[in-house]
Order: sequence, then structure tokens, then C-alpha cells
Amino acid sequence: MPLHTLQLTDFAWLVVLIIIIVYMIYDLYSRRPKRSITYTRETLVCTKCGLNVERDFEPGDFIGLVKGKCPSCGGNLKIKAIYSIEKTKR
Amino acid sequence: MDVSTIIQLIWILLFILLITGLNQRIQLKLWVFDIRTKLNTIRSLLEEDKAKTRSMLRNLGVEVPEAIIERVIEFFTIEPVEIEPVDIIKRMDHLLRTTEASVRKIVSSHLPSLGRHELSLIESSLSIVAALNIVYKVIRHYLLIGERENNFILIMQLEYLMPQVMRIAYTYHEALDSFMYGKPVGDGAGPLVVYNLIERSEVKSRRVIDDTSVVEAYYKGRRLILVKAEGPGSNVGHPGAVISRIVEDLKGSINLIITIDASLKLEGEETGSISEGVGAAIGDPGPEKIAIERAATKYNIPLRALVVKMDLKEAITTMKKDIVEACERASILIERMIEELTPPNATIVIAGIGNTMGIPG
Repeated sequence: MPLHTLQLTDFAWLVVLIIIIVYMIYDLYSRRPKRSITYTRETLVCTKCGLNVERDFEPGDFIGLVKGKCPSCGGNLKIKAIYSIEKTKR
Repeated sequence: MDVSTIIQLIWILLFILLITGLNQRIQLKLWVFDIRTKLNTIRSLLEEDKAKTRSMLRNLGVEVPEAIIERVIEFFTIEPVEIEPVDIIKRMDHLLRTTEASVRKIVSSHLPSLGRHELSLIESSLSIVAALNIVYKVIRHYLLIGERENNFILIMQLEYLMPQVMRIAYTYHEALDSFMYGKPVGDGAGPLVVYNLIERSEVKSRRVIDDTSVVEAYYKGRRLILVKAEGPGSNVGHPGAVISRIVEDLKGSINLIITIDASLKLEGEETGSISEGVGAAIGDPGPEKIAIERAATKYNIPLRALVVKMDLKEAITTMKKDIVEACERASILIERMIEELTPPNATIVIAGIGNTMGIPG
């Protein structure tokens, strides 16, 4: 049988082989964890009027720290929560 | 050569590989290659973390940071003898406290002018690097043994364990940032709940015993004794020993003990879900937990537990918003438990267990 005259069974084997290879490559890449970037944010609450302000975390900050003045009433802004926010990269 | 001859040759080749065991050798080499690639990734993470720590120490005025890094990351603690159980808790407690004091001494001897808060962040950062160093060394050890002895089973086990190991390595790597800058971590859920309760109660007195903060407060006619590690440095305190001391000081006249801790969730469970139960919610190696159990049992005090669920990564990296919200819900639940389980004028001990980094009080 010459090489250029592929039989139906040989052709079927070839198709199965290609499907397996494509599936394996897809499986490998689909299981990879998605890359993400994490930001640390903090919520500050005015002790006078209760206004909530959200800002980026700065080294040295901790929950309960009085940091700055309220833009609305001039009262003290106190850090209420520090948390991370994750954004997935494409 | 036609196609059927090629296919026949492939079958013969496969047969030879099978009967000589060469296929296993090829598989072994492929696995070794894959493990080595991942091990190199762990090494680069370790080097990056060491460089960050070196830079932090240099900025604080340490001239040769390598000396302190190598000394702390290679520091070890030998477990107490287990075949003789008599006083094992006492011995373990002694060894754990000696480890804590020794690491603190090494760090503070290089940085004598630094405050406790900053020192605790350096100690914790070095502990993170030490944990990653152990992961790297253990994986390298088994890879080299498996390769040297052509141990197919050992290499296979290692290959299938590697995804989990890589996840742990990346988790430690990400955790370093939180510990270097003192951001609250998921494990701080317990201290955060107690901090919320302190903020809402009428505080009468505050004192610090054994690195642990004890706040006496009043809530709806009940006397609350709120226990948490002293913050906002990286500290877990000694809540077990302190609760035991409080119970003894009050001669057992306590109506309820509640412990709140972060708990590792099972896959499929939601981050920030809350569960309540009975027992001491504390994940120490033993001494602190047994101290709470013994104190509660001696005076027949009900021991209730509340856990906030999260995975390992969430526990040791910066607290997620879901966990912050869960802590708020947990504080409300604790208030409900106080009202449901105790009469007015009752005395209740509430302990927030975990690392209090970024959470004061």
C-alpha cells in the first residue's frame, strides 16, 4: 500500500490521535490558575458624622488608627477595616 | 515503506519498551524534569523573599542581614518525648515559649532600638521565609533520593503532590507582603470579632498579661472579659494560659466561655461562612487549648466555639472583604449568644484566637 493512499482505519487512528493531543493541550492550559493582582484597601469612618471613605492601604496603618479629617464635617476619620481586593488578569 | 509497516514497527517498539521496563524509565525522567522545573520555581520564590527581607533589614540599619536571616530560617525546635506522656503539655509549652523567646532575642540583638510592633513584623516575616525554605529543602531531599535510587514510586508520589506543594509555596510567598507591612490577615478573624465587641461595649479596664490583652467591659448588664493577643503587632499571645488564670482568679464564677477562631474550610464551603459549636476553638499545638479545656472542665463552665471559615491562603494573606463582613456578622451572633445563654449579671469570657496583626487592643 503506498503512503499516499491512506486506508479508512489509518485515517481514523490519525483523527483519534489529533483529538487526544488537542484535548491534552486544552486541559493543560484550562487548569492553569488565573493570574491576579491584589490591592489592599481600607475603609475609614468619620467618628462624628459616620461618613465612609475608601482609600489605599499605607504601611503603618492599622484598624482603629485615626487618620486625617472628614471632608464633610471635619471630624476624625478612623480606620474601620483593612482588606484585600483581587482583580483577575486576562 | 507503507503505512501498515510503520504501524507494525510502532507496536513492536511499544512491546519492547513494555517488556524491558524502559517505558517506566522514560516516565521517571519526564516526572523528574517536571518536579525539577517546579522546584526551581520554589527556589526563585525563596530567593525573592530572602531579597525582600534583606532589603527590609538593611533599611532598618542591619549591616549584614544575611547573618540574621540564615540564623532564623534554620532555627528548629525538637518535639518533646511522646512515649512518656506525663507532663508532655508542660514540656511542650516550655519548648514553644523558649523558641519564641530565642527568635525574639536573635532579632532584637541585631535591632536593639526597634519597638515591639516592628520587631514582631520582622520575626513573622522571617518565619514565612523559614516555612518556604523548609518546603524547598524537603522537596529537594525527596527528589534527589528518588533520582539517586531510581525510586519510581517516590517520584510518582512527589509528582502528584507537586500541585498542592506549589499552592502552599505561592501562599507563603504572597503572605510575606502582609507580614512585612502589618496588614490584618484572615487568621485575625477572632481578634477582629473581639475588637468589634470592645468597640461596642462599655469598657471598664484594660490590662496586658503574657502578651495577651484582657479587657473588662459591660454589655446589657453582663460582665464581659474580652481576651485577645496584644495588637497591633504580629502576635498570637497566650490566650489559653490567660483564660486559665482568669478562671482561677475568679474561682470559677464564670457563666460562659466563648472562643472565636478562623477555621480551615473544606473545599466547596464558602469563605466567611460561620459555624458555632462546643469546645475550644484554637489551633495551637496543644498547651493553650488544653489550658482552656481544663479550666472549663474544672469548674463545669459551658465552653462554646464560633469559627469563621476560610482556606489556608486566605488565613495567612491579607484579610479578604468577605472575611471582614463575616467578622461583623460573627460579632452580632456573639451578642445574640450572650443574651440567649446567660442571665443578666453573668460573667462571660470571650476570647478571639489568632494573629492580631493590624488589629489593636
